[in-house]
Amino acid sequence: MGTIRNEIRRLRFEHGEMTQQQLAEKIHVTRQTVNAIELGKYSPSLEAAFRIAAVFGKPLEGVFHYSHDE
Amino acid sequence: MSFREKSAWISLLSMAGIYGVYFWSFRHAGPQARGFHFGGLLGTISALVVVQILLTVGVAIFAPTEANAPRDERDKLIELRAMRVAYAALSTSVAFACFFGGFIPPLVFNANSLLFILVAAEIMRSTCQIVQYRRGA
Repeated sequence: MGTIRNEIRRLRFEHGEMTQQQLAEKIHVTRQTVNAIELGKYSPSLEAAFRIAAVFGKPLEGVFHYSHDE
Repeated sequence: MSFREKSAWISLLSMAGIYGVYFWSFRHAGPQARGFHFGGLLGTISALVVVQILLTVGVAIFAPTEANAPRDERDKLIELRAMRVAYAALSTSVAFACFFGGFIPPLVFNANSLLFILVAAEIMRSTCQIVQYRRGA
């Protein structure tokens, strides 16, 4: 099993201290879902991941990192 | 707590409370009053619908934006997982009820038994949703 980490928290603060609610509204999910994604408790769908990356103007790998556990 | 989680709590508490009263009164009814009473069930279902509508509207008044928003992908996933657990519980319980109802005479296999299994599965579904929301999954 691998682990998906993300840079959403850092990117939010780099984008004018964007709140979870603001990001949630931009990608059409609830604030609780953004929080769960940020904490790594929920892995978003590919579509939601692309939407998050688009909000920050980054490629997918600029937001999400996959590490394969041996 | 999200609106969907609050809805799951409303569903869990109202079903446990209202059907609890129904099954408690059935259990404590005299032998002549036992059995499947359509009127009692109709009253129970009506009470459940009214309570759930009132509580959901009450919650929605305090969070109108969230209440009007469609379920997102995480809500749908949580619902699907909860439904899977509830369906497994439902089918297993029905199989047990059929088996034991057929072979052990004191356990009466009737409409109330089926209703109890259905309510238990629904309660399990809401509980499963709440647990997943609490975990953040």
